[in-house]
Amino acid sequence: MKRTIASSFANKIILVILAFIVLTYFFLVALPLAAVFLRIQPNQIIEQLQNSQIITAIKLSLYTSAIATFLAFVLAVPTGYFMATRRFPGKAIIDTIIDLPIVLPPAVAGVALLFAFAPRGLLGPTLNFLGLTIPGYPVAVVIAETFVASPFLLRSAKTGFESMDQDVINSAKILSGSRLRVFFTVSLPLTFRAILSGTMMTWARAMGEFGATLMFAGNLPGITQTMPLAIYTLLYSDPLAGVMLSIILIVISFSILIIIKLLEQKRFGRKK
Amino acid sequence: MIKIDSVTKTFSDKKVIQSLSLEVKKNEILTLLGPNGCGKTTLLNMLSGLTRPDEGNIYIDDILVSGTEGTKKVYLNPSERKVGYVFQTVSLFPHMRVQDNVAYGLKSFHLRKFRLHRREVKDRTMELLDLVGLREYARFYPNQLSGGQKQRVALARSLATEPQVLFLDEPVSAVDPQLRESFRLELKNYLQKLKITVVYVTHNLSEAFIMSDRIAVMGDGSIQQIGTGAELFDKPSSGYVAKFLGVNSFKGKAVKISGAFMQIEANGTSISAPSNHNLLGKNVVATIKPENITLSKAVDLSVDGAANSVEGVVTEMVQMRSNAQVTVDVGFVLKTRIPLSTVKSLGISVGDKVYACFSACSLNVFTDDDN
Repeated sequence: MKRTIASSFANKIILVILAFIVLTYFFLVALPLAAVFLRIQPNQIIEQLQNSQIITAIKLSLYTSAIATFLAFVLAVPTGYFMATRRFPGKAIIDTIIDLPIVLPPAVAGVALLFAFAPRGLLGPTLNFLGLTIPGYPVAVVIAETFVASPFLLRSAKTGFESMDQDVINSAKILSGSRLRVFFTVSLPLTFRAILSGTMMTWARAMGEFGATLMFAGNLPGITQTMPLAIYTLLYSDPLAGVMLSIILIVISFSILIIIKLLEQKRFGRKK
Repeated sequence: MIKIDSVTKTFSDKKVIQSLSLEVKKNEILTLLGPNGCGKTTLLNMLSGLTRPDEGNIYIDDILVSGTEGTKKVYLNPSERKVGYVFQTVSLFPHMRVQDNVAYGLKSFHLRKFRLHRREVKDRTMELLDLVGLREYARFYPNQLSGGQKQRVALARSLATEPQVLFLDEPVSAVDPQLRESFRLELKNYLQKLKITVVYVTHNLSEAFIMSDRIAVMGDGSIQQIGTGAELFDKPSSGYVAKFLGVNSFKGKAVKISGAFMQIEANGTSISAPSNHNLLGKNVVATIKPENITLSKAVDLSVDGAANSVEGVVTEMVQMRSNAQVTVDVGFVLKTRIPLSTVKSLGISVGDKVYACFSACSLNVFTDDDN
């Protein structure tokens, strides 16, 4: 009897400690986010939305991240399919290298891109010959964003294709002679959610890209100054603009997470 | 209908199928029966074109679908072999309604040469759903159906392309345990109605008996024996087959022939069996079905023919619904199946001394190839 009382007391203590840890963690994340929102009045929001510097940065971010996401889709989905369904020598090495940007510090990514594409870089002479300069132009932003963000899509596409039920795919192969038809009518719909959530993660990552863009593309307003770069630049000269851009990015990130969570729940047809 | 000629398949150093040959007759239901991992599914996958054999030829309807013809290598894709396949797991397309699942194969006809009219696709889909009794579920999604309903849809889907051969890989295992019995009978009905060549895979003995015209017992990547259920039970051709079917088998030596009977010495026990001059003096294996053995408390020679009545000790008793499986050690192990009422009237329990009685004619004897 004594023992059960003691152990139930111990359980309660553990529960209280756990709850404390969870709350601390939650506030560690939520407090800074809330602090951003507390920096601005509702009427200032309307005002800031007409700030030309903000609008320029938003426009640039939107179109570079859209192109980067599209590029990531075109490159990563077929690659993910290939990596998930084929075996070949050296696969593990290739797999690791194309996943690398996920953990690579963005500054290193920026340096690496410079050494590859800058006029004095590895491909510099070729690009010069073709009359192309990359750093300092929006195309550099797109390359930096694709480099850093595409592995997120690759990973989830690959996992999606790997977890396809082989019996389902085999059923389709027996019923239909066209591989392309099987891919588009069965493989792709089965991995649709994984690919969509990977695409959104990639887009969110591209929107937030800072380090690699700063180093490789530069910080030129209207040309390479994306939203994160604008926040960095404006926070001292025009703090409210910085706050406004931060809020937009927080809202975008939050929405993407909610959409991904909803995607995970969706089933085909309601359960009886 | 199907001819498999010395087919071999190795997966990373493990020989899964070893020089296997088999013929399946037109419109028969042949079951591949064997324990898990004996290569049943691999064989099915090679027949359907999902797995490529290392060696050997496979013919479906006299057409070489896999192998070499002269110096030419031939390999037809799964969709070109006119086969249907129902898988062990529910393999319906989860994102399509039942009717679209069934129509999937029909639509690929449409894309090829036949150009089925939309109306025709719809009509044939409904016909197939009628066959499996699921017309009213046409607009449901697979996850709204029960396990048995899903497998019926899978059956209808596989029949849509009018296959000449149907492969079923443990289709019953996707059904809830308590509904399996009735699903088996249902499935049997469909298959008989269809008049189609069927290769059925299972590791379940009673399922094999319910479903098939002939059973091929597989072990170690090859066919151990093939025949009707009764043939296999009466005359298992090896200790492996006997063991898998739950038939008693024991090793011994044929020592003497007197008249119509032959004496076998098995681990110190003398047994009478039908005489066979070819076996005299050889090491043999004898098999006997559990239900051909009766038990008594005293020597009982009333059984027809040369009766065996051997003394032993009861080592195990398992009660079933209407009978009991009693294991007796008579120098070798004999499993018997006797009615519960007999168990009661004899009053036997584990450790008791009993006599196992069986006629010589119920023994099936062949040479022991292991020695």
